[in-house]
Amino acid sequence: MKLLPELLVVDDNPADVALVSEALAGGLRHTKINSVGDGVEAMAFLNRREKYANSLRPDLVLLDLNLPKKDGLAVLAAMKANPDLRRIPVVIFSTSQLRKDVVRSYEVGANCYVRKPGNLNEFFAAVKSVEEFWFNFVNLPPRGE
Amino acid sequence: MKSTGTAAAAETEALPTSATKLRALLLEDNPLDAALVVRALFKGGFEVAADVVQDEAAFTKALRTHPPEVVLADYNLPSWKGMEAIKLLRAEGSDIPIIVVSGALGDVAAVECIRQGATDYVLKDGLTRLPEVVRRALREKKERNLRRQAEQDLARKVDELARSNADLEQFAYVASHDLQEPLRMVTAYTQLLAERYAGKLDANADKYIGYASEGAQRMQVLIQDLLAFSRVGRNGFTHGNVDCNSVLEEVLTSLAPAMQECGAVVTHDALPSVWADRTQVAQIFQNLIGNAIKFRGQEPPVIAVRAEPADPCWRFSVSDNGIGIAPEYAETIFVVFQRLHARTEYPGNGIGLAICKKIIEHNGGRIWVEPQAGSGSNFKFTLPGHGPDPADGARS
Amino acid sequence: MTNGTDILLVEDSQEDADLAIHALQRERLANNIFIARDGEEALDFLFCRGAFSERSFDAPPKLVLLDLKLPKVNGIEVLKQVKGDPRTSTIPVVILTSSKEDKDLLVSYGLGVNSYIQKPVDFDQFRETVKTVGLYWLVVNQQLNGVKKAAGQASS
Repeated sequence: MKLLPELLVVDDNPADVALVSEALAGGLRHTKINSVGDGVEAMAFLNRREKYANSLRPDLVLLDLNLPKKDGLAVLAAMKANPDLRRIPVVIFSTSQLRKDVVRSYEVGANCYVRKPGNLNEFFAAVKSVEEFWFNFVNLPPRGE
Repeated sequence: MKSTGTAAAAETEALPTSATKLRALLLEDNPLDAALVVRALFKGGFEVAADVVQDEAAFTKALRTHPPEVVLADYNLPSWKGMEAIKLLRAEGSDIPIIVVSGALGDVAAVECIRQGATDYVLKDGLTRLPEVVRRALREKKERNLRRQAEQDLARKVDELARSNADLEQFAYVASHDLQEPLRMVTAYTQLLAERYAGKLDANADKYIGYASEGAQRMQVLIQDLLAFSRVGRNGFTHGNVDCNSVLEEVLTSLAPAMQECGAVVTHDALPSVWADRTQVAQIFQNLIGNAIKFRGQEPPVIAVRAEPADPCWRFSVSDNGIGIAPEYAETIFVVFQRLHARTEYPGNGIGLAICKKIIEHNGGRIWVEPQAGSGSNFKFTLPGHGPDPADGARS
Repeated sequence: MTNGTDILLVEDSQEDADLAIHALQRERLANNIFIARDGEEALDFLFCRGAFSERSFDAPPKLVLLDLKLPKVNGIEVLKQVKGDPRTSTIPVVILTSSKEDKDLLVSYGLGVNSYIQKPVDFDQFRETVKTVGLYWLVVNQQLNGVKKAAGQASS
C-alpha cells in the first residue's frame, strides 16, 4: 500500500526550506515535507525521539552540509552507522561546489549530491527533478515498521 | 678610539684643510714602517686614528673592540702572515677593505692576496699611492652598501606589494563569496513575489517588486564577475604550451550563436603556441571577440585575429569594425566596472577587459588598445612564447 | 583506451544493452559507454586489473549501471566489492534490474547502492527510464570528475 512519499529536509535556512515547499507545491506527488533546522534535531527526528515519537520514517532525506550543532556529514555518517537508518537514501543539497565537499559526501555514503542553484527557476527544477527521480523512477527501500 | 704609534702624526706639518677622519688597523711589526704608513695617509689628507698589532690575538681583539674602516696588513710578519689576516677577515664575512702593504711582493703572491679577498696592495716604497688606494677602497665599499640597501628595499617593496595584492584578492574573494548566500535569498524571493503576486497587489507594488528583482539579479551577476576577477591568480593555474589555434576554435564554437545572430565574420592567421594557462587564454579570446561582437556598429562585425613574433613573446591583435573607443578612454576601459555606455545601450558589467588585463599581466604580458584608421578598435596583447629555460634557473 | 569511459553498463542481455545505449546516446548523455557482460569483467574493469590493467583508479566511470542477474559474478557481489573498497566506493552505482525481490532491494541499499530501479518491461518505458537515470546522474547530480587526490588538475 503506497502511502504519500515522506521527505525530510534538513536545512538551517527556513527560507530555503520554504523554497523547497514552493517548488513541490501543487505537484502531482503530494510529497509530505518535514523539516528540521540542525543536525541534532535531524537525528532526533530520524530516531523518533521525544516530540518526534509519532513521526514517520522518511523515504528520502534532503541534507544540507552546513548545519549548526551537528553538520550534514556527521548526520550522514550517523545514519550510515545505524542499521535502521542506513538504507534511507540521502541527497546532499548544498550551495557548495567545492571538490572536497563532493568527495567527502560520496565517501561518507551520500547517494548523490545536488548543488543548490542560485537562480530561482533552476532551484525549482532541481528540487522537482530530485522528487521525480526518487519518488517516481527509483524503487525505495520499504519504510519499515 | 685610542691609537698607538701615531707619533708621526704630531709633526708640525699642518693637516690639509679638509682632512678625512680614518680609523685604521695596522698589522705591522716594524714601528718605523707603521709610522711611514700613517704619515703617507696623513699627507694624503687623512686624519688617522690607528691601532697597530702584530699577531692574530691582538688583530682579532682590535677587530672586535675598535672595528676599523680599513685594514693595512704587512705581507711578511714573523708570527702571523698577512695572508692569514685576509682569510680571517673574509671568513667571518667582513666587508672591511684590507690593503696589503709590503716590501717585496711577487706577482704570484699579489694575485693570491687578491684572490683571498684583499682589496688591493701597495709596495712600501710606493706609499704615495696609498691614500688614493684607500680612498678608492672606501668609495667602492660605500657603493656596494648602497646597492645592497637598494636591493633590500626593492625586495621588501616587492614583498609588500605581493602581500597587498594577495590581501586584496582574498578580500574580493571572501566578500563576493559570502555575499552570494544572502543575495540568493533576495533574488529568489523577489522573483517568487513577482511570480506569485503579479497583478494581485496594486500597480506600484508590481513595479517596485520588479525593480527589486532586477537589482538583485544584476547584483548576482556582478558578484559572480567579481569572484571571477578575484580568482585570476588565486588558484594555482597550470602553465603549459597552449595551441592558440585550437583555443580559438573552441571560443568561436561557443560564440557561434551570437555570431550567427549578427552575421559576424572572424578571420585569423595561423596562431602560435604560447606559454600560459589554457583556460585563461580562452577567457582572453572570449572577452575580446565577445566585445567585438557586442559593441558592433551598423554593419555585421568583421573581426580579425592576428599574431606576430615579438621575441620572446608573441604579439596578438584582435581588431574589429565596431563602434570603436575614443583615445581619451584608452586606459580607463581596462579598469574594473568601468563602462563607457549606458546599460540600456550596451549590456554588460565592464569587467571583461579588466579580467583580460589581469590575466595577461599575470602571465607576464601587456594589453593595450591601438588607434586605427577608420572606425573600430584594435586590441593588442602579448604573451610569452615559451616557458622558462630550466638551464638558467629563472623562476617561472 | 578505456580511461575516458563515462558509463559502465553491466548487462548480459544484448537487447537491453542496445536499448540502454540507444537511449543514452540519443540524449547525448554519454560519449563513452563500456559494456561488461558479466560480473567478473565489471570487477576487472573497475579494479583496473586483468584485461584492464592499463586503466587508472583516477579515471573511474561517472556512473555504473548494474544489472543483478549476471553470469560468473552476480550484481550484488559486484556492488559489495565496489562499495567496500575506498578506491571505488565513491563511484555512483545505479542498479537497473528486472528482479522484483524485496530482498535484493534491501540488501542493495544496505550495501550502499546509490539508487535501485526496476526495469520496466515495456521497451519504450525502459528507454525512458534509462534516459531519466542518465539525465539525473550525469546532469543533475554533481560528479567527482574522477580525480580525487591530485589538487590543481583541470576540471571537467
